[in-house]
Amino acid sequence: MSDLDKAIAQLRACRPIPEAQVREVCHKARELLIEEANVVTVAAPVTICGDIHGQFHDLMELFRVGGDPPDTNYLFMGDFVDRGFYSLESFLLLLCLKVRYPDRMTLIRGNHESRQITTVYGFYDECLRKYGSANVWRYCCDVFDYLALGAIVLGASNTLEPTNEATTRDDVEIEVCNADGDAISHFGRRGKAGGSDQGSLNGKTGRTGPPGSGASGSSGGTVGNPAGAVLCVHGGLSPLIDTVDKIRLLDRKQEVPHEGAMCDLLWSDPDEIDGWGLSPRGAGFLFGADIVKMFNHRNDLSLIARAHQLVMEGFKEMFDASIVTVWSAPNYCYRCGNVAAVLELSEDPGGQGFFSRSNGDVGRSDGGVNRGVLLDSDDGSKRGPARRYRVFQAAPQDSRGMPAKKPVADYFL
Amino acid sequence: MDAPPIGQQPTHINPVNSMNEPWPSPENLAAATNKYRQGSFVIASRKLPISKAGPIEAMEKDIKIPVPEMIFGDNLVSITHAPTGWRIEFNARDALDAVDKTGDNMLQVAYAGEWSASREQTSAGIREIVRPFDWSYSTTYKGTVVHGNEGADTDTDAHAADTSRRLEFAPTNEPIPIELLKRRDPIQFFDDVMLYESELDDNGISILSVKLRVHDERMLLLCRLYMRLDNVVCRIRDTRIYVDFVSEVVTREYVIKEANYNDVKQKLLISGLRPDGITIALRDANRIAESLPTIGQTLESVSLASPRE
Repeated sequence: MSDLDKAIAQLRACRPIPEAQVREVCHKARELLIEEANVVTVAAPVTICGDIHGQFHDLMELFRVGGDPPDTNYLFMGDFVDRGFYSLESFLLLLCLKVRYPDRMTLIRGNHESRQITTVYGFYDECLRKYGSANVWRYCCDVFDYLALGAIVLGASNTLEPTNEATTRDDVEIEVCNADGDAISHFGRRGKAGGSDQGSLNGKTGRTGPPGSGASGSSGGTVGNPAGAVLCVHGGLSPLIDTVDKIRLLDRKQEVPHEGAMCDLLWSDPDEIDGWGLSPRGAGFLFGADIVKMFNHRNDLSLIARAHQLVMEGFKEMFDASIVTVWSAPNYCYRCGNVAAVLELSEDPGGQGFFSRSNGDVGRSDGGVNRGVLLDSDDGSKRGPARRYRVFQAAPQDSRGMPAKKPVADYFL
Repeated sequence: MDAPPIGQQPTHINPVNSMNEPWPSPENLAAATNKYRQGSFVIASRKLPISKAGPIEAMEKDIKIPVPEMIFGDNLVSITHAPTGWRIEFNARDALDAVDKTGDNMLQVAYAGEWSASREQTSAGIREIVRPFDWSYSTTYKGTVVHGNEGADTDTDAHAADTSRRLEFAPTNEPIPIELLKRRDPIQFFDDVMLYESELDDNGISILSVKLRVHDERMLLLCRLYMRLDNVVCRIRDTRIYVDFVSEVVTREYVIKEANYNDVKQKLLISGLRPDGITIALRDANRIAESLPTIGQTLESVSLASPRE
């Protein structure tokens, strides 16, 4: 067993590894990450995950539900640290897995992977508490600066591979599974009649099974570009970025700045507005459906996957399924009672899929303008990738090694 | 005579502070409500997970502002005077409805100037602020008072209709008896219920929660808003409800405390805290409450005792 495998085993048991070893792993990780582009290209199959926030035991539950690495390829969209009690173990485990299986683990940066934010929201304190000095925090922050800003998933299949069920159903675009891998609900392609168990994805009608098994938002199946890849980014889009290529040109190796596109990619949120808007907080952009659809069309994307916002159901598709929020921290902050989800994209069995047309590099310098921008597609036969959401709950209480959070009666005044 | 707790949770439903399903569903609200009766009063509390997309959408349509990301829409604390049906309750919807919706007193994050200056040229077209409102969720909520006879004992319904009109809070000079509350009387019923929390997009915290402790002769409820906007301001808004079970007088105190963020930090530094300690202290509303100056205060009471015949 190599030192790295030993470190992985130790971290899986939620025990921190020695400072010297952290230093070594961080050094190796940096050497790896420095070679990665701002936008990493990832081939399906891959399981896309949202915020983790130091909830180590729930990360273990995620691996149980989604499949253990390296057997399952993972793409984590940032916010590994802060808020939870085990930021250190969570991030170091992911980092060790990245170093050990570089092609099977993709880590991109969230707005919490920053010196300034971790100082306020817990990771810094945790490092100080567990090591007695800020060295480990510093090593980790140096790694943060090298994390990619986004990823493009290519070669995802239009049909779902069967899970616990025997047959593949090629009319199913979205499947929601519980933590045992049983399908709870199916949603067919829009425009195709006769999906026998086609339900409502917004969770308002029909049965929804366990909490959060019903998705939310405006998805009724994809009507976007049929031949697209999936862009993964922590926050969202930027008015400074109209093509994926422009993300590739950024100088990312720095602390997350307040200005510029890099900040927007990690901070912005989709909203039910037209075009772009400013957050009332005085910093941060909001973007509407038209922006997402135009961006997806111009870049031959069928979907943007992002994280950054808590959603009770674990995932939320918006704007005719042109963008989805994935949230992977169940019972967030140990008190919200929300479920979490990961998004599984399977590999196109024919090895064709839309791989050849979708790397975002070729022939797109005109920004797609010559082809016109279709904001509304009425062709229901166009195909986005088939999506399987695995919904899971917080790890059982007895395995988290924490005292029950019963309110302690106190004589407050 | 001891009043036993009523309406305890059935054993097959886990309380929300248990990590394990099943939690009570919203359809099962009554079963999820803890109730405790003391004299003429029934005290109730309910804790459920954060609201789902459907109810959130409905609430946003209703109150016309975006709700915080952690919204405990089904949570509740209430104190009901059974003979009259008079009730004061605390819930997230009404608390958020009391947030300023005009945007007139809107705060800005500390780096807003820097942020927008760097974008003046590159995104000049984008000027419109989406839905201006007090996004710090600094509510002025003091609880929802229900005067009707809903929930009143059936044999006193007729009286309730007569008396409910008089049962309004009115200014008083009689403060909440802090000394009595400092005594370590046994706590018969206690709860700590979150109504909402926002991380202000990682610019601080805004949290509204309700604590209550019930003793044989009196009870205290504290509904506290703690809002910290990093490098800008710290705010506390406390509503205290004191009930004297013997006299059946309910007192409501509302206290506003606020100070500049840097002043708070300075104060903590002078108190001998190291920088890490300051970060931790700034997360602790109780700690900050001590060091914030009071800038506003009201005191009211209402007597619910039936007039002697």
